[in-house]
Amino acid sequence: MNSDTREILATKDVAWERRIMAARRRATLIDRAMTGVMSLAALFLVIVLSGVIFIILRAGLPAISWTFLTTASSITDPGGGIGPQIWVTMYILVLSLAIVTPIGVGAAIYLSEYARPGPITNAIRFSTEALASVPSVVFGVFGAIVFLTIMNLGFSVLSGSLTLALLNLPLMVRIAEDAIRAVPTAYREASLALGGSRWETIRKAVLPSALPGIITALVLTGGRIIGETAPLILTTGTTISPNAQYSLNPLQTGETLAVHIWVLKIVGVPGLQDAQLVADGSAAVLLLIVLIINVGMAYFTNRLTQRLRGASGAPRAGGSKKG
Amino acid sequence: MSEQTSGHRTLAVRESSARADAPAAIEARDFNFYYGDFRALEQITMLAPRHQITALIGPSGAGKSTLLRAMNRMHDETPGVSSDGQLLLEGADINGFSDLIDLRKRVGMIFQRPNPFPMSIFDNVAYGLRLKSQGAKKGVIAEQVEQALRGAAIWDEVKDKLQQSGLALSGGQQQRLCIARAIAVEPEVLLMDEPCAALDPIATLKIEELMGELEERYTIVIVTHNLQQAGRVSDQTVFLSMNPETRAGFVVEVGPTQQIFTNPKDDRTLAYISGRFG
Ligand SMILES: Nc1ncnc2c1ncn2[C@@H]1O[C@H](COP(=O)(O)OP(=O)(O)O)[C@@H](O)[C@H]1O
Ligand SMILES: [Mg+2]
Repeated sequence: MNSDTREILATKDVAWERRIMAARRRATLIDRAMTGVMSLAALFLVIVLSGVIFIILRAGLPAISWTFLTTASSITDPGGGIGPQIWVTMYILVLSLAIVTPIGVGAAIYLSEYARPGPITNAIRFSTEALASVPSVVFGVFGAIVFLTIMNLGFSVLSGSLTLALLNLPLMVRIAEDAIRAVPTAYREASLALGGSRWETIRKAVLPSALPGIITALVLTGGRIIGETAPLILTTGTTISPNAQYSLNPLQTGETLAVHIWVLKIVGVPGLQDAQLVADGSAAVLLLIVLIINVGMAYFTNRLTQRLRGASGAPRAGGSKKG
Repeated sequence: MSEQTSGHRTLAVRESSARADAPAAIEARDFNFYYGDFRALEQITMLAPRHQITALIGPSGAGKSTLLRAMNRMHDETPGVSSDGQLLLEGADINGFSDLIDLRKRVGMIFQRPNPFPMSIFDNVAYGLRLKSQGAKKGVIAEQVEQALRGAAIWDEVKDKLQQSGLALSGGQQQRLCIARAIAVEPEVLLMDEPCAALDPIATLKIEELMGELEERYTIVIVTHNLQQAGRVSDQTVFLSMNPETRAGFVVEVGPTQQIFTNPKDDRTLAYISGRFG
């Protein structure tokens, strides 16, 4: 420090300067600490996911073989498989999504494109939020009353799929609505200005841009459908009739993989020596199915976005680049 | 180009060959526009002659965009708006159009930010064509797409990559793509709301050149903040200002661009123009 600076410093309020410097140092420190905490929290997520994958696969992979994946289960002798359970799981997944997607996306379109603010819209929104927080087992009881008793569908894949469709409707609506709302107004205006009708604008300009978000909704919903147990136990049952394995009949009873695990682990199957191993194997298969769906859909969405937005994928409409 | 010195800067004003008595494509007579209770436009009287370029200039908030968007009823999507007085397209009341789609096919629009759809260049231009004639044969659409792209002076740049995303183009190319998309449905009028605001000078120049060509086939109404641009491209100028108390936009002066820029009749026009150039 040369004498000039010292002089200047001396003329200023030295204590004040020091306080500012100290505050700044503190701010920097807090900044660093918080960055550390946040990245630890983020890292924790990765660790949890890796942990889940590692532990579940280590326990379950030894059980998995081609026979395991393709043969029927046995409640008496070891060596049974989970083929029919995989079938029922996929069947319910597809059927529920087929029911929930059109209704959910339709409601989302209504809420984002047509609904004017007012008591009706508020009521719809409130119902959606409320439904989203109803425990799944309550949906199970509801499904049992409505589909099994009143509509007389019995314990069946159809009853279960309908129940899960209702259960997932709020989530579907909310994510799809967000995706549709996120589509820039500029696309809507461009389409309308070209003489597009309201519906043409939604179908040809808005929905294609919202597709990646809607696919996310499908994946999240699908994950929940695959993993659900309580409502299915009450609506599809816990057995697969030996003469209805791999059946397309929606009125058959069913048992998904998740329910199968629950039966083996919690209810127990007396006398079945390899029950634990089969349960662990089932869990591993379940996890693999979810992972494959996630990775597959992420890949598909990426490709789609790239095709829509151009090779680099990144730049949005705008004039930042040279003309 | 004739030159006029105003303040210290030189302003190029285009020598217009346009006839002042050309029939009006769009005309407003005592037109008022309201957002709810707020009157945004007050007693607007102006006209945009056929096959000429009419510039709407004036300070921010004077209602230039509001007036432009009333011309193809983009406001219909906004709740709570209303209007009275007359706004005419070739003598027919724009608000009286029972077929909004027909109106918008006749009056196309280019926006401030280039807004191509996230789809291929070809699909962008074909968008309106496919709305219009769903049964059109593929070959025919391809022909019209090419014509529109040529019309928007972008064909040579994109002819080898028609299947690539329109969003992969530069900003200036995107805007010309949007112009191609708009002229593909063969409108009579093109509305442009600050079409170069998001573009660099070179891209802007290209659009201005293009407007000169488009003028032969279309009537153009352009909102611009850039007075030099208004001077360079337009035949007619409408100067809007804002009532300081009510904030309603009103027309101060309408006339041939050359007259407005070199010899304005209203002091407020003179003040605005010399203020913006001085
Ligand atoms: N959707 C709207 N609702 C209410 N007021 C609006 C809306 N759009 C514009 N305005 C108001 O109308 C006036 C004119 O706006 P605008 O036409 O955008 O002006 P300009 O394009 O000349 O800058 C402004 O006071 C603006 O705040
Ligand atoms: Mg504006």
